[in-house]
Amino acid sequence: MGTAPVREVHDLEHERFLEEVHSFEFWFHSVEGYLSGTTYGHREETVDDSPSGAVDRQHLITVLSNYCIGEMAALEGASGLIAIAPNQLTKIFLSTQVADEGRHLEVLLHRMRDLGVKYPAQEADRRASRGLKQFRHELLRLVQGRDWEAAIFAQNVILESLEFAVFRAHAEGADPVTKEILDGIIKDERRHIGFGENELGRRLHAAPHVRTRLARVREELDHLILDMLEDSSREIGVEPDRKAELARAYLQSVERLGFT
Amino acid sequence: MADTIDAYSIQNWLESCPQSYLMDTEYGHGPEEKEPDFILDNEVVLEETIKATVQLVVGERCALSASSGLINAAPDEASRRFLATQTLDEARHVEVFTHRLYDLGVKKQDLEGTIQRYANPNLVKFAEILLEKVDRKDFVSGVVGQNIVLEGMAFSVFEMMHAMNEPVNAKFAHTLSGTIADERRHVGFGENRIGSLIQQHPEKRPEVEQMQKEMSYFMLATFADAFRNNQTANELEAAGIERPHSEYQGVDLGTMEPEEMEQVLADTVLKEFKTRLGRIGIEYQTPARP
Repeated sequence: MGTAPVREVHDLEHERFLEEVHSFEFWFHSVEGYLSGTTYGHREETVDDSPSGAVDRQHLITVLSNYCIGEMAALEGASGLIAIAPNQLTKIFLSTQVADEGRHLEVLLHRMRDLGVKYPAQEADRRASRGLKQFRHELLRLVQGRDWEAAIFAQNVILESLEFAVFRAHAEGADPVTKEILDGIIKDERRHIGFGENELGRRLHAAPHVRTRLARVREELDHLILDMLEDSSREIGVEPDRKAELARAYLQSVERLGFT
Repeated sequence: MADTIDAYSIQNWLESCPQSYLMDTEYGHGPEEKEPDFILDNEVVLEETIKATVQLVVGERCALSASSGLINAAPDEASRRFLATQTLDEARHVEVFTHRLYDLGVKKQDLEGTIQRYANPNLVKFAEILLEKVDRKDFVSGVVGQNIVLEGMAFSVFEMMHAMNEPVNAKFAHTLSGTIADERRHVGFGENRIGSLIQQHPEKRPEVEQMQKEMSYFMLATFADAFRNNQTANELEAAGIERPHSEYQGVDLGTMEPEEMEQVLADTVLKEFKTRLGRIGIEYQTPARP
Protein backbone atom coordinates (compact mmCIF):
# COMPACT_ATOMS: atom_id res chain seq x y z
CA MET A 1 0.00 0.00 0.00
CA GLY A 2 0.97 3.64 -0.08
CA THR A 3 3.71 5.11 1.99
CA ALA A 4 2.11 8.49 2.65
CA PRO A 5 2.84 9.78 6.14
CA VAL A 6 0.14 9.24 8.74
CA ARG A 7 -1.88 12.41 8.65
CA GLU A 8 -2.56 14.33 11.83
CA VAL A 9 -6.20 14.60 10.97
CA HIS A 10 -7.29 16.15 14.23
CA ASP A 11 -5.11 19.18 13.52
CA LEU A 12 -7.13 19.97 10.40
CA GLU A 13 -9.94 22.50 10.30
CA HIS A 14 -13.39 20.86 10.23
CA GLU A 15 -14.18 20.81 6.50
CA ARG A 16 -10.69 19.61 5.65
CA PHE A 17 -10.93 17.01 8.42
CA LEU A 18 -14.16 15.59 6.95
CA GLU A 19 -12.69 15.57 3.48
CA GLU A 20 -9.71 13.63 4.78
CA VAL A 21 -11.47 11.03 6.93
CA HIS A 22 -14.18 10.32 4.38
CA SER A 23 -11.74 9.66 1.55
CA PHE A 24 -10.66 6.41 -0.04
CA GLU A 25 -7.06 7.48 0.60
CA PHE A 26 -7.65 7.68 4.35
CA TRP A 27 -9.38 4.30 4.39
CA PHE A 28 -6.56 2.81 2.34
CA HIS A 29 -3.86 3.96 4.75
CA SER A 30 -5.96 3.03 7.81
CA VAL A 31 -6.58 -0.59 6.88
CA GLU A 32 -2.97 -1.13 5.85
CA GLY A 33 -1.91 -1.40 9.47
CA TYR A 34 -4.17 -4.25 10.44
CA LEU A 35 -5.03 -6.08 7.22
CA SER A 36 -1.59 -6.28 5.70
CA GLY A 37 -0.31 -9.85 5.90
CA THR A 38 -3.65 -11.38 6.85
CA THR A 39 -5.68 -13.96 4.96
CA TYR A 40 -9.41 -13.95 5.58
CA GLY A 41 -8.93 -11.73 8.61
CA HIS A 42 -6.11 -13.51 10.42
CA ARG A 43 -2.44 -14.26 10.07
CA GLU A 44 -1.72 -17.66 8.59
CA GLU A 45 0.59 -18.60 11.47
CA THR A 46 -2.09 -18.05 14.12
CA VAL A 47 -2.88 -21.39 15.73
CA ASP A 48 -6.43 -22.50 15.10
CA ASP A 49 -7.48 -23.49 18.60
CA SER A 50 -11.19 -23.56 17.82
CA PRO A 51 -13.48 -25.65 20.02
CA SER A 52 -12.99 -29.37 19.40
CA GLY A 53 -16.09 -30.53 21.24
CA ALA A 54 -19.18 -30.86 19.05
CA VAL A 55 -21.41 -28.79 21.34
CA ASP A 56 -18.99 -25.87 21.67
CA ARG A 57 -18.27 -25.96 17.95
CA GLN A 58 -21.96 -25.83 17.08
CA HIS A 59 -22.35 -23.03 19.57
CA LEU A 60 -19.60 -20.99 17.87
CA ILE A 61 -21.18 -21.65 14.46
CA THR A 62 -24.48 -20.25 15.73
CA VAL A 63 -22.74 -17.17 17.11
CA LEU A 64 -20.96 -16.62 13.78
CA SER A 65 -24.25 -17.15 11.94
CA ASN A 66 -25.74 -14.21 13.80
CA TYR A 67 -22.69 -12.10 13.04
CA CYS A 68 -23.00 -12.97 9.35
CA ILE A 69 -26.64 -11.85 9.23
CA GLY A 70 -25.66 -8.65 11.05
CA GLU A 71 -22.95 -8.01 8.47
CA MET A 72 -25.30 -8.82 5.60
CA ALA A 73 -27.69 -6.22 7.00
CA ALA A 74 -24.80 -3.77 7.26
CA LEU A 75 -23.69 -4.49 3.67
CA GLU A 76 -27.22 -4.03 2.34
CA GLY A 77 -27.73 -0.93 4.44
CA ALA A 78 -24.45 0.77 3.52
CA SER A 79 -24.80 0.04 -0.20
CA GLY A 80 -28.39 1.32 -0.20
CA LEU A 81 -27.34 4.46 1.65
CA ILE A 82 -24.98 5.46 -1.17
CA ALA A 83 -27.99 6.23 -3.37
CA ILE A 84 -29.40 8.71 -0.84
CA ALA A 85 -26.13 10.16 0.48
CA PRO A 86 -26.23 13.97 0.29
CA ASN A 87 -22.83 14.55 -1.33
CA GLN A 88 -19.81 12.97 -2.99
CA LEU A 89 -17.76 12.78 0.22
CA THR A 90 -20.35 10.76 2.10
CA LYS A 91 -20.85 8.51 -0.94
CA ILE A 92 -17.12 7.79 -0.97
CA PHE A 93 -17.00 7.09 2.75
CA LEU A 94 -19.98 4.74 2.45
CA SER A 95 -18.23 2.95 -0.40
CA THR A 96 -15.32 2.17 1.91
CA GLN A 97 -17.86 0.99 4.46
CA VAL A 98 -19.48 -1.26 1.83
CA ALA A 99 -16.09 -2.88 1.24
CA ASP A 100 -15.55 -3.24 4.99
CA GLU A 101 -18.94 -4.88 5.52
CA GLY A 102 -18.38 -7.17 2.55
CA ARG A 103 -15.01 -8.13 4.02
CA HIS A 104 -16.56 -8.85 7.41
CA LEU A 105 -19.16 -11.06 5.82
CA GLU A 106 -16.49 -12.84 3.79
CA VAL A 107 -14.15 -13.55 6.73
CA LEU A 108 -17.01 -14.74 8.93
CA LEU A 109 -18.37 -17.05 6.23
CA HIS A 110 -14.85 -18.31 5.70
CA ARG A 111 -14.48 -18.96 9.43
CA MET A 112 -17.70 -21.00 9.35
CA ARG A 113 -16.30 -22.97 6.45
CA ASP A 114 -13.14 -23.60 8.51
CA LEU A 115 -15.39 -24.98 11.23
CA GLY A 116 -16.85 -27.51 8.79
CA VAL A 117 -19.93 -25.74 7.46
CA LYS A 118 -20.34 -26.59 3.79
CA TYR A 119 -22.85 -23.88 2.83
CA PRO A 120 -22.20 -21.11 5.35
CA ALA A 121 -24.52 -18.46 3.85
CA GLN A 122 -27.50 -20.80 3.95
CA GLU A 123 -26.55 -22.06 7.41
CA ALA A 124 -26.22 -18.51 8.73
CA ASP A 125 -29.68 -17.70 7.47
CA ARG A 126 -31.08 -20.85 9.08
CA ARG A 127 -29.51 -20.25 12.47
CA ALA A 128 -29.71 -16.48 12.92
CA SER A 129 -32.06 -15.08 15.53
CA ARG A 130 -35.48 -13.78 14.62
CA GLY A 131 -34.74 -10.44 16.31
CA LEU A 132 -31.72 -9.87 14.10
CA LYS A 133 -33.68 -10.70 10.97
CA GLN A 134 -36.37 -8.29 12.09
CA PHE A 135 -33.74 -5.58 12.61
CA ARG A 136 -32.34 -6.23 9.11
CA HIS A 137 -35.84 -5.80 7.71
CA GLU A 138 -36.40 -2.54 9.62
CA LEU A 139 -33.03 -1.13 8.55
CA LEU A 140 -33.74 -1.81 4.89
CA ARG A 141 -37.18 -0.26 5.27
CA LEU A 142 -35.55 2.97 6.45
CA VAL A 143 -32.99 2.89 3.62
CA GLN A 144 -35.63 2.21 0.99
CA GLY A 145 -37.75 4.99 2.47
CA ARG A 146 -34.79 7.30 1.67
CA ASP A 147 -34.74 8.63 5.22
CA TRP A 148 -31.05 9.57 5.45
CA GLU A 149 -30.90 10.54 9.12
CA ALA A 150 -32.98 7.62 10.38
CA ALA A 151 -31.12 5.08 8.23
CA ILE A 152 -27.69 6.39 9.26
CA PHE A 153 -28.84 6.33 12.88
CA ALA A 154 -30.03 2.72 12.61
CA GLN A 155 -26.99 1.58 10.63
CA ASN A 156 -23.96 3.57 11.78
CA VAL A 157 -24.98 4.25 15.36
CA ILE A 158 -27.32 1.49 16.56
CA LEU A 159 -26.19 -1.55 14.55
CA GLU A 160 -22.49 -0.67 14.53
CA SER A 161 -22.50 0.10 18.27
CA LEU A 162 -24.22 -3.19 19.00
CA GLU A 163 -21.68 -5.09 16.93
CA PHE A 164 -18.81 -3.13 18.47
CA ALA A 165 -19.94 -4.00 22.02
CA VAL A 166 -20.66 -7.66 21.29
CA PHE A 167 -17.53 -8.32 19.20
CA ARG A 168 -15.32 -6.70 21.82
CA ALA A 169 -16.80 -8.83 24.59
CA HIS A 170 -16.54 -11.97 22.47
CA ALA A 171 -12.95 -11.27 21.37
CA GLU A 172 -11.82 -11.26 25.01
CA GLY A 173 -12.55 -14.96 25.42
CA ALA A 174 -12.45 -16.21 21.84
CA ASP A 175 -10.04 -18.71 20.28
CA PRO A 176 -7.01 -16.99 18.66
CA VAL A 177 -8.25 -17.08 15.03
CA THR A 178 -11.74 -15.84 15.89
CA LYS A 179 -10.21 -13.17 18.13
CA GLU A 180 -7.98 -11.84 15.34
CA ILE A 181 -10.91 -11.76 12.95
CA LEU A 182 -13.05 -9.88 15.46
CA ASP A 183 -10.26 -7.45 16.38
CA GLY A 184 -9.94 -6.46 12.72
CA ILE A 185 -13.68 -5.97 12.39
CA ILE A 186 -13.81 -3.88 15.58
CA LYS A 187 -11.27 -1.45 14.12
CA ASP A 188 -13.52 -0.94 11.09
CA GLU A 189 -16.63 -0.52 13.25
CA ARG A 190 -14.94 2.27 15.16
CA ARG A 191 -14.54 4.20 11.89
CA HIS A 192 -18.17 3.59 10.92
CA ILE A 193 -19.49 4.73 14.31
CA GLY A 194 -17.34 7.87 14.06
CA PHE A 195 -18.86 8.67 10.69
CA GLY A 196 -22.41 8.16 11.99
CA GLU A 197 -21.86 10.28 15.09
CA ASN A 198 -20.21 13.05 13.11
CA GLU A 199 -22.83 13.11 10.37
CA LEU A 200 -25.77 13.04 12.79
CA GLY A 201 -24.17 15.31 15.38
CA ARG A 202 -23.94 18.12 12.85
CA ARG A 203 -27.47 17.55 11.58
CA LEU A 204 -28.96 17.41 15.06
CA HIS A 205 -27.21 20.65 15.89
CA ALA A 206 -28.50 22.34 12.74
CA ALA A 207 -32.05 20.91 12.87
CA PRO A 208 -33.12 19.96 16.39
CA HIS A 209 -36.50 18.62 15.18
CA VAL A 210 -34.62 15.67 13.67
CA ARG A 211 -34.00 14.52 17.24
CA THR A 212 -37.70 13.82 17.82
CA ARG A 213 -37.87 11.65 14.71
CA LEU A 214 -34.72 9.73 15.63
CA ALA A 215 -35.95 9.22 19.18
CA ARG A 216 -38.98 7.51 17.69
CA VAL A 217 -36.76 5.31 15.50
CA ARG A 218 -34.74 4.41 18.54
CA GLU A 219 -37.88 3.54 20.47
CA GLU A 220 -38.96 1.21 17.67
CA LEU A 221 -35.59 -0.52 17.48
CA ASP A 222 -34.50 -0.52 21.12
CA HIS A 223 -36.38 -3.63 22.16
CA LEU A 224 -34.89 -5.54 19.24
CA ILE A 225 -31.41 -4.36 20.18
CA LEU A 226 -31.75 -5.17 23.87
CA ASP A 227 -33.16 -8.62 23.03
CA MET A 228 -30.25 -9.20 20.67
CA LEU A 229 -27.79 -8.08 23.33
CA GLU A 230 -29.36 -10.51 25.76
CA ASP A 231 -29.17 -13.36 23.23
CA SER A 232 -25.62 -12.49 22.22
CA SER A 233 -24.45 -12.25 25.85
CA ARG A 234 -25.75 -15.72 26.50
CA GLU A 235 -24.29 -17.15 23.29
CA ILE A 236 -20.82 -15.76 23.77
CA GLY A 237 -20.78 -16.67 27.46
CA VAL A 238 -20.78 -13.21 29.05
CA GLU A 239 -21.06 -13.51 32.83
CA PRO A 240 -24.41 -12.20 34.15
CA ASP A 241 -22.75 -9.33 36.02
CA ARG A 242 -21.08 -8.16 32.79
CA LYS A 243 -24.29 -8.12 30.76
CA ALA A 244 -25.19 -4.71 32.09
CA GLU A 245 -21.74 -3.48 31.09
CA LEU A 246 -22.35 -4.65 27.54
CA ALA A 247 -25.71 -2.91 27.39
CA ARG A 248 -24.08 0.23 28.80
CA ALA A 249 -21.41 0.19 26.09
CA TYR A 250 -24.15 0.19 23.47
CA LEU A 251 -26.23 2.84 25.25
CA GLN A 252 -23.25 5.17 25.63
CA SER A 253 -22.96 5.56 21.87
CA VAL A 254 -26.55 6.73 21.50
CA GLU A 255 -26.15 8.93 24.57
CA ARG A 256 -23.20 10.66 22.94
CA LEU A 257 -25.73 12.02 20.43
CA GLY A 258 -27.89 13.30 23.26
CA PHE A 259 -30.39 10.43 23.44
CA THR A 260 -30.93 9.33 27.03
CA MET B 1 -17.08 -22.25 -9.39
CA ALA B 2 -15.08 -22.07 -6.16
CA ASP B 3 -12.07 -20.75 -8.10
CA THR B 4 -14.27 -18.13 -9.75
CA ILE B 5 -15.61 -17.06 -6.37
CA ASP B 6 -12.11 -16.85 -4.92
CA ALA B 7 -10.95 -14.77 -7.90
CA TYR B 8 -13.63 -12.19 -7.14
CA SER B 9 -13.30 -12.24 -3.35
CA ILE B 10 -12.42 -9.26 -1.20
CA GLN B 11 -9.37 -11.19 -0.04
CA ASN B 12 -8.24 -11.35 -3.66
CA TRP B 13 -8.90 -7.62 -4.04
CA LEU B 14 -6.79 -6.87 -0.97
CA GLU B 15 -3.95 -8.98 -2.33
CA SER B 16 -4.08 -7.72 -5.90
CA CYS B 17 -4.69 -3.97 -5.58
CA PRO B 18 -3.12 -2.55 -2.41
CA GLN B 19 -0.11 -4.79 -2.70
CA SER B 20 0.55 -4.18 -6.38
CA TYR B 21 -0.58 -1.29 -8.55
CA LEU B 22 -1.85 0.98 -5.78
CA MET B 23 1.39 0.61 -3.86
CA ASP B 24 3.08 3.96 -3.19
CA THR B 25 0.37 6.03 -4.85
CA GLU B 26 -1.56 9.04 -3.63
CA TYR B 27 -4.80 9.75 -5.42
CA GLY B 28 -3.76 7.23 -8.04
CA HIS B 29 -0.32 8.61 -8.94
CA GLY B 30 3.15 9.04 -7.49
CA PRO B 31 3.36 11.74 -4.80
CA GLU B 32 5.92 13.69 -6.87
CA GLU B 33 4.09 13.50 -10.20
CA LYS B 34 2.50 16.75 -11.45
CA GLU B 35 0.34 17.90 -14.37
CA PRO B 36 2.63 19.21 -17.14
CA ASP B 37 3.08 22.92 -17.88
CA PHE B 38 1.75 22.70 -21.44
CA ILE B 39 -1.68 21.98 -19.92
CA LEU B 40 -1.55 24.35 -16.96
CA ASP B 41 -0.11 27.29 -18.93
CA ASN B 42 -2.48 27.24 -21.91
CA GLU B 43 -6.06 28.37 -21.20
CA VAL B 44 -7.62 26.50 -24.11
CA VAL B 45 -5.81 23.22 -23.45
CA LEU B 46 -6.56 23.56 -19.73
CA GLU B 47 -10.27 24.02 -20.34
CA GLU B 48 -10.38 21.06 -22.75
CA THR B 49 -8.56 18.95 -20.16
CA ILE B 50 -10.99 19.97 -17.43
CA LYS B 51 -13.89 19.20 -19.76
CA ALA B 52 -12.50 15.73 -20.55
CA THR B 53 -11.86 15.01 -16.86
CA VAL B 54 -15.43 16.03 -15.97
CA GLN B 55 -16.71 13.29 -18.32
CA LEU B 56 -14.59 10.80 -16.40
CA VAL B 57 -16.08 11.94 -13.07
CA VAL B 58 -19.60 11.73 -14.53
CA GLY B 59 -18.95 8.22 -15.86
CA GLU B 60 -17.45 7.05 -12.58
CA ARG B 61 -20.27 8.54 -10.52
CA CYS B 62 -22.66 6.53 -12.66
CA ALA B 63 -20.54 3.40 -12.12
CA LEU B 64 -20.53 4.02 -8.35
CA SER B 65 -24.32 4.37 -8.26
CA ALA B 66 -24.78 1.29 -10.43
CA SER B 67 -22.38 -1.04 -8.62
CA SER B 68 -23.64 -0.08 -5.15
CA GLY B 69 -27.25 -0.24 -6.34
CA LEU B 70 -26.76 -3.72 -7.76
CA ILE B 71 -25.53 -5.20 -4.46
CA ASN B 72 -29.02 -5.50 -3.08
CA ALA B 73 -30.25 -7.02 -6.34
CA ALA B 74 -27.53 -9.69 -6.54
CA PRO B 75 -28.79 -13.26 -6.38
CA ASP B 76 -25.84 -14.69 -4.43
CA GLU B 77 -23.37 -13.72 -1.72
CA ALA B 78 -20.26 -14.01 -3.88
CA SER B 79 -21.66 -11.50 -6.39
CA ARG B 80 -22.55 -9.14 -3.56
CA ARG B 81 -19.03 -9.25 -2.21
CA PHE B 82 -17.48 -8.71 -5.62
CA LEU B 83 -19.78 -5.74 -6.18
CA ALA B 84 -18.64 -4.41 -2.78
CA THR B 85 -15.06 -4.29 -4.11
CA GLN B 86 -16.28 -2.76 -7.35
CA THR B 87 -18.16 -0.09 -5.38
CA LEU B 88 -14.91 0.73 -3.62
CA ASP B 89 -12.99 0.83 -6.93
CA GLU B 90 -15.55 3.17 -8.49
CA ALA B 91 -15.45 5.44 -5.44
CA ARG B 92 -11.67 5.55 -5.79
CA HIS B 93 -12.01 6.50 -9.45
CA VAL B 94 -14.46 9.29 -8.58
CA GLU B 95 -11.98 10.51 -5.99
CA VAL B 96 -8.85 10.42 -8.18
CA PHE B 97 -10.53 12.13 -11.13
CA THR B 98 -12.05 14.74 -8.81
CA HIS B 99 -8.58 15.38 -7.43
CA ARG B 100 -7.33 15.81 -10.95
CA LEU B 101 -9.87 18.58 -11.39
CA TYR B 102 -8.47 20.23 -8.26
CA ASP B 103 -4.94 19.80 -9.64
CA LEU B 104 -6.13 21.51 -12.82
CA GLY B 105 -7.21 24.50 -10.77
CA VAL B 106 -10.91 23.84 -10.14
CA LYS B 107 -11.82 25.25 -6.71
CA LYS B 108 -13.46 22.83 -4.32
CA GLN B 109 -16.51 25.06 -3.97
CA ASP B 110 -16.86 25.12 -7.78
CA LEU B 111 -16.71 21.34 -8.25
CA GLU B 112 -20.43 20.69 -8.71
CA GLY B 113 -20.85 23.80 -10.87
CA THR B 114 -17.95 22.76 -13.09
CA ILE B 115 -19.40 19.27 -13.47
CA GLN B 116 -22.82 20.66 -14.34
CA ARG B 117 -21.36 23.09 -16.85
CA TYR B 118 -19.26 20.55 -18.75
CA ALA B 119 -21.08 17.21 -18.31
CA ASN B 120 -21.96 15.96 -21.76
CA PRO B 121 -25.78 15.56 -22.05
CA ASN B 122 -25.32 12.40 -24.13
CA LEU B 123 -23.19 10.84 -21.42
CA VAL B 124 -25.83 11.79 -18.85
CA LYS B 125 -28.47 10.09 -21.00
CA PHE B 126 -26.21 7.02 -21.32
CA ALA B 127 -26.02 6.90 -17.50
CA GLU B 128 -29.75 7.36 -17.06
CA ILE B 129 -30.53 4.31 -19.19
CA LEU B 130 -28.32 2.16 -16.99
CA LEU B 131 -29.47 3.62 -13.67
CA GLU B 132 -33.10 3.08 -14.59
CA LYS B 133 -32.35 -0.68 -14.76
CA VAL B 134 -30.49 -0.51 -11.46
CA ASP B 135 -33.36 1.33 -9.77
CA ARG B 136 -35.67 -1.48 -10.85
CA LYS B 137 -33.24 -3.99 -9.28
CA ASP B 138 -32.86 -5.68 -12.66
CA PHE B 139 -29.62 -7.51 -11.95
CA VAL B 140 -29.07 -9.08 -15.37
CA SER B 141 -29.62 -5.86 -17.35
CA GLY B 142 -27.77 -3.86 -14.71
CA VAL B 143 -24.65 -6.01 -14.81
CA VAL B 144 -24.58 -6.11 -18.63
CA GLY B 145 -25.07 -2.33 -18.74
CA GLN B 146 -22.51 -1.69 -16.03
CA ASN B 147 -19.85 -4.37 -16.38
CA ILE B 148 -19.94 -4.95 -20.13
CA VAL B 149 -21.15 -1.69 -21.73
CA LEU B 150 -20.05 1.05 -19.32
CA GLU B 151 -16.88 -0.69 -18.16
CA GLY B 152 -16.07 -1.85 -21.69
CA MET B 153 -16.35 1.73 -22.90
CA ALA B 154 -14.29 3.04 -19.96
CA PHE B 155 -11.63 0.41 -20.55
CA SER B 156 -11.09 1.44 -24.18
CA VAL B 157 -11.33 5.18 -23.49
CA PHE B 158 -8.79 4.88 -20.67
CA GLU B 159 -6.47 2.83 -22.86
CA MET B 160 -6.58 5.45 -25.60
CA MET B 161 -6.07 8.27 -23.12
CA HIS B 162 -3.22 6.33 -21.54
CA ALA B 163 -1.51 5.95 -24.91
CA MET B 164 -1.87 9.68 -25.58
CA ASN B 165 -0.67 10.74 -22.13
CA GLU B 166 2.14 8.30 -21.45
CA PRO B 167 4.84 10.23 -23.37
CA VAL B 168 3.81 13.68 -22.08
CA ASN B 169 1.96 13.32 -18.77
CA ALA B 170 3.34 10.58 -16.53
CA LYS B 171 1.05 11.61 -13.67
CA PHE B 172 -2.22 11.14 -15.52
CA ALA B 173 -0.93 8.04 -17.34
CA HIS B 174 -0.16 6.55 -13.90
CA THR B 175 -3.68 7.34 -12.66
CA LEU B 176 -5.16 5.76 -15.79
CA SER B 177 -3.10 2.58 -15.56
CA GLY B 178 -4.60 1.89 -12.09
CA THR B 179 -8.14 2.44 -13.30
CA ILE B 180 -7.52 0.26 -16.37
CA ALA B 181 -6.43 -2.59 -14.09
CA ASP B 182 -9.67 -2.20 -12.11
CA GLU B 183 -11.86 -2.07 -15.21
CA ARG B 184 -10.29 -5.26 -16.51
CA ARG B 185 -11.42 -7.04 -13.34
CA HIS B 186 -14.92 -5.59 -13.57
CA VAL B 187 -15.38 -6.61 -17.20
CA GLY B 188 -14.14 -10.11 -16.32
CA PHE B 189 -16.74 -10.45 -13.57
CA GLY B 190 -19.50 -9.29 -15.94
CA GLU B 191 -18.64 -11.97 -18.46
CA ASN B 192 -18.15 -14.75 -15.93
CA ARG B 193 -21.18 -14.16 -13.78
CA ILE B 194 -23.76 -12.98 -16.24
CA GLY B 195 -23.33 -15.73 -18.86
CA SER B 196 -24.95 -18.33 -16.64
CA LEU B 197 -27.71 -15.93 -15.60
CA ILE B 198 -28.56 -15.19 -19.24
CA GLN B 199 -28.86 -18.93 -19.82
CA GLN B 200 -31.25 -19.16 -16.87
CA HIS B 201 -33.26 -16.14 -18.04
CA PRO B 202 -33.34 -16.22 -21.86
CA GLU B 203 -36.46 -14.02 -21.75
CA LYS B 204 -34.20 -11.13 -20.68
CA ARG B 205 -32.28 -11.10 -23.98
CA PRO B 206 -34.47 -8.66 -26.00
CA GLU B 207 -34.51 -6.11 -23.18
CA VAL B 208 -30.76 -6.37 -22.63
CA GLU B 209 -30.06 -6.08 -26.35
CA GLN B 210 -32.27 -2.99 -26.65
CA MET B 211 -30.47 -1.43 -23.68
CA GLN B 212 -27.07 -2.11 -25.28
CA LYS B 213 -28.23 -0.51 -28.53
CA GLU B 214 -29.50 2.63 -26.78
CA MET B 215 -26.47 2.99 -24.51
CA SER B 216 -24.16 2.48 -27.50
CA TYR B 217 -25.87 5.28 -29.40
CA PHE B 218 -25.40 7.79 -26.57
CA MET B 219 -21.81 6.61 -26.13
CA LEU B 220 -21.08 7.33 -29.81
CA ALA B 221 -22.78 10.72 -29.50
CA THR B 222 -20.54 11.50 -26.51
CA PHE B 223 -17.45 10.52 -28.51
CA ALA B 224 -18.60 12.70 -31.41
CA ASP B 225 -18.99 15.74 -29.16
CA ALA B 226 -15.68 15.09 -27.42
CA PHE B 227 -13.56 14.76 -30.57
CA ARG B 228 -15.29 17.02 -33.08
CA ASN B 229 -15.38 20.09 -30.84
CA ASN B 230 -11.97 19.61 -29.26
CA GLN B 231 -9.53 22.49 -29.73
CA THR B 232 -6.51 20.82 -28.10
CA ALA B 233 -4.79 19.62 -31.29
CA ASN B 234 -5.11 23.03 -33.00
CA GLU B 235 -3.94 24.85 -29.91
CA LEU B 236 -0.89 22.64 -29.48
CA GLU B 237 -0.04 23.09 -33.14
CA ALA B 238 -0.38 26.88 -32.82
CA ALA B 239 1.89 26.81 -29.80
CA GLY B 240 4.45 24.79 -31.74
CA ILE B 241 4.11 21.73 -29.51
CA GLU B 242 4.33 18.49 -31.43
CA ARG B 243 1.71 15.91 -30.57
CA PRO B 244 3.26 12.64 -29.35
CA HIS B 245 3.30 9.76 -31.81
CA SER B 246 1.42 7.38 -29.54
CA GLU B 247 0.33 4.07 -30.90
CA TYR B 248 -3.19 2.82 -30.21
CA GLN B 249 -4.82 -0.10 -31.99
CA GLY B 250 -2.04 -0.07 -34.57
CA VAL B 251 -2.42 3.60 -35.58
CA ASP B 252 -0.32 6.68 -34.84
CA LEU B 253 -2.52 9.05 -32.84
CA GLY B 254 0.00 11.85 -33.38
CA THR B 255 -0.83 12.12 -37.08
CA MET B 256 -4.61 11.66 -36.98
CA GLU B 257 -7.39 14.20 -37.27
CA PRO B 258 -9.82 14.22 -34.29
CA GLU B 259 -12.59 12.66 -36.43
CA GLU B 260 -10.26 9.80 -37.36
CA MET B 261 -9.41 9.25 -33.71
CA GLU B 262 -13.12 9.20 -32.88
CA GLN B 263 -13.61 6.54 -35.54
CA VAL B 264 -10.80 4.37 -34.18
CA LEU B 265 -12.14 4.57 -30.63
CA ALA B 266 -15.75 3.91 -31.64
CA ASP B 267 -14.76 0.92 -33.78
CA THR B 268 -12.59 -0.48 -30.98
CA VAL B 269 -15.32 -0.22 -28.34
CA LEU B 270 -18.06 -1.62 -30.56
CA LYS B 271 -15.86 -4.53 -31.62
CA GLU B 272 -15.16 -5.27 -27.96
CA PHE B 273 -18.89 -5.12 -27.16
CA LYS B 274 -19.62 -7.58 -29.92
CA THR B 275 -16.99 -10.03 -28.68
CA ARG B 276 -17.92 -9.77 -25.00
CA LEU B 277 -21.68 -9.88 -25.56
CA GLY B 278 -21.22 -12.91 -27.81
CA ARG B 279 -19.41 -14.69 -24.96
CA ILE B 280 -22.43 -14.27 -22.67
CA GLY B 281 -24.99 -15.22 -25.30
CA ILE B 282 -26.27 -11.73 -26.16
CA GLU B 283 -26.57 -10.68 -29.78
CA TYR B 284 -24.84 -7.36 -30.39
CA GLN B 285 -27.15 -4.67 -31.78
CA THR B 286 -25.64 -2.12 -34.14
CA PRO B 287 -26.48 1.37 -32.90
CA ALA B 288 -27.40 4.30 -35.12
CA ARG B 289 -24.44 6.58 -35.85
CA PRO B 290 -24.93 10.12 -34.53
